[in-house]
Amino acid sequence: MDLNYTPEDIAFRKQVRAWLERNLPREPIRTLAERRVWHRRLYEAGYLGMGWPREYGGGAARPMEQAIVADEMARANAPAPTNSLGIGIVGPTIVVHGTEAQKQRYLKKILTAEELWCQLYSEPNAGSDLASLKTSAVDGGDHFVVNGQKIWTSSGAIADWGLLLARTDAAVPKHKGITCFLMSMRQPGVEVRPLKQITGSSEFSEVFMTNARVDKSDQIGKLGEGWAIAQTTLGYERGGRSLARVTTYASQYHRLLDAARRLTRHGRPLIDDPLVRQKLGRIWAELEVERYSALRVLTQLERGEHPGAGGSLTKLSYSEFEKRFMELAQEILGSYGQLIDGAPAEYQLQIDTAVGENGTWAYAFLWSRAGTIYAGSSEIQKNVIGERILGLPKEPRADRAGAAR
Amino acid sequence: MNFSFSDDQILLRNSVRAALDEQCRPAHVRAMMDDARGYGETLWGEMAKLGWLGLPFAEEYGGAGLGLVELCLVLEELGRAAYPGPYFASVVLGGLALTEAGTAAQKEKWLPAIASGTARLTAALVEESLDWNPASTCATATRRGEGWTLAGVKRFVPWAHVADAVLLPARTPEGVSLFLVDPRSPGVSVTPLPGIDVGSRWSELRLHDVAVTPEAAVGPLGGAGSILEALVRRAAVGASAEMLGAARRCLNMSVDYAKVREQFGQPIGSFQAIRHRCAEMLMAVENSHAAVYYAAWALDAGAEDAALAASVSKAYVSEAARQVCGDAIQVHGGIGFTWEYDLHLYFKRAKALEPLFGDAEYHRELIVRHVA
Repeated sequence: MDLNYTPEDIAFRKQVRAWLERNLPREPIRTLAERRVWHRRLYEAGYLGMGWPREYGGGAARPMEQAIVADEMARANAPAPTNSLGIGIVGPTIVVHGTEAQKQRYLKKILTAEELWCQLYSEPNAGSDLASLKTSAVDGGDHFVVNGQKIWTSSGAIADWGLLLARTDAAVPKHKGITCFLMSMRQPGVEVRPLKQITGSSEFSEVFMTNARVDKSDQIGKLGEGWAIAQTTLGYERGGRSLARVTTYASQYHRLLDAARRLTRHGRPLIDDPLVRQKLGRIWAELEVERYSALRVLTQLERGEHPGAGGSLTKLSYSEFEKRFMELAQEILGSYGQLIDGAPAEYQLQIDTAVGENGTWAYAFLWSRAGTIYAGSSEIQKNVIGERILGLPKEPRADRAGAAR
Repeated sequence: MNFSFSDDQILLRNSVRAALDEQCRPAHVRAMMDDARGYGETLWGEMAKLGWLGLPFAEEYGGAGLGLVELCLVLEELGRAAYPGPYFASVVLGGLALTEAGTAAQKEKWLPAIASGTARLTAALVEESLDWNPASTCATATRRGEGWTLAGVKRFVPWAHVADAVLLPARTPEGVSLFLVDPRSPGVSVTPLPGIDVGSRWSELRLHDVAVTPEAAVGPLGGAGSILEALVRRAAVGASAEMLGAARRCLNMSVDYAKVREQFGQPIGSFQAIRHRCAEMLMAVENSHAAVYYAAWALDAGAEDAALAASVSKAYVSEAARQVCGDAIQVHGGIGFTWEYDLHLYFKRAKALEPLFGDAEYHRELIVRHVA
């Protein structure tokens, strides 16, 4: 047990920090074109797709190096690159399950953000029960014809391509009839409508597919293997952002402390109120525990072990923590915490949240409600933990045996 | 960066677990409830033989020269077994304090004796106020000739009834100072304070004009504050490790039970109400593991954030263990509320440790002082 960073890691961190000091955009990024330029610069520095194999443009870097880059970017409050789903999910899926032709065609352009990607998984009636999805892909000779609706598609509005799960066989049990495809979003049969969230912004879209077309050469894996492929790729990115996430929380926490020094109740600064101190102490303890846990997961990844269902513990822990943290921030900030514009600088967050670029406390608070729903709700994570780690029996389910419809 | 145990550490944990599985079964824990001394000499001798009693002491004092990480591995196993006995009092409270602050003569006299199991030490760290801050000490030490006369009342002194020496703070003109007192000295009375965890024996210690020699002073006069701060920090992490062990035992018992207990024609573990509770218990246990061993490592390594990490560990694990052990009773239902079923042994051990060396609130205040 040695929780010191190695001299190599310390040197690498210095190098990343120096690079960021030299290269961080001086002006806030406002357009997609500007973000692509920033993305490209990060890629050329070797800071994107770091874990991908070298032969496909990656850096074959260790998990710790990836975590350090993300962590330093969080520390510098650097703008996010684009194409996060392409790099985090789609690319690794193609690397593992794709044909050589698919790898040559798609991987490099994912890394360079020449082509942006989204993930077409959830449907209006297939959320937690993703395997009940209804979007169909019907054999049309040299291609498939896709009809259906997807929802909660992040980056849907800017994506050129989508990783699609569609039903190719409705006569077999629902987990067996799903196939995975790469589908162009730039075709007449695909309509994307931004989905306005409780934040007022639209990080997600709805996607309607009406006789959309997918070439057979863009099928990933075999027919009916889509569910298994989706299962293996859900956990690819875990760990990479683990340190960065905590660093962002810590920056936000220090902003909150500053506010608690200025705000008063009954003439006394909040920071001197024992009740407030208790709450602040609790959140900092939890934040530190998240950091220790991140180091524990990184150790596993460094040893080449995949956390597997352990990723569910990580996700459950930090997403529920984030909600508690943001509830406390609101409690301390009072009405300032709800301002969506025009907040005095002292009561602005000024720190990018993981997804949004809108650095307000109100946005961060509202966004914290998403974390315990997306990528498997807390309830689904607890099912996974219960069944796959603790070995508890599955709940009797009505839908295991029969055909999808 | 390596957050996993070494092969030697795993070996140590496995051997401690195997020995306790054999010699500290629930039947042993229950038998000791009715024992006047409250612990078994056979197991105590075995602990000495296996090197557990001298684990953190230097080899020149008959110790194994290991660190707090290893000590926490042992303490976690002791919590898992709800071990009844003066291990924590003697090795952690007495032993680590002397290791840090004792004179060469004190170390030579006591550390080998602790390691061989022939002497048991303890520390009297709180008085009526239950304040873990040494500055709250009311007991006094008055000069008499070369030595001192001690007076005052200490409460919740662990295993004082079997101790050969008690480390305690008392007020001198120089400030709060530390003394090592034989509880069988004239003027000392030891009265049991029986609590819900019969495996943790506490006493009240009354000091009435107790004469001690100059050699009884530990550390510089007026220097108790920093010595005890460092000791409480280590003890807080050690107690967290023991609570972690108790919590993990409760989790494992709950999961095993939920797999076999049937209601409505199915194992109760198939119901989300139970399964989700178990998942939350596991999350609390794994987070506690990270908190305990990070803090233990930080203290061993002298890391910058060691004091903060110790407080994080005690603040987090005190509540996590309480929650997990309580949830375990809930998962079990009625059987978990019976004396006959073993669950309450671990539930009570975690509860007994919760206020010791500062409860969650105490440490949350320290955390905010560090951060703000």
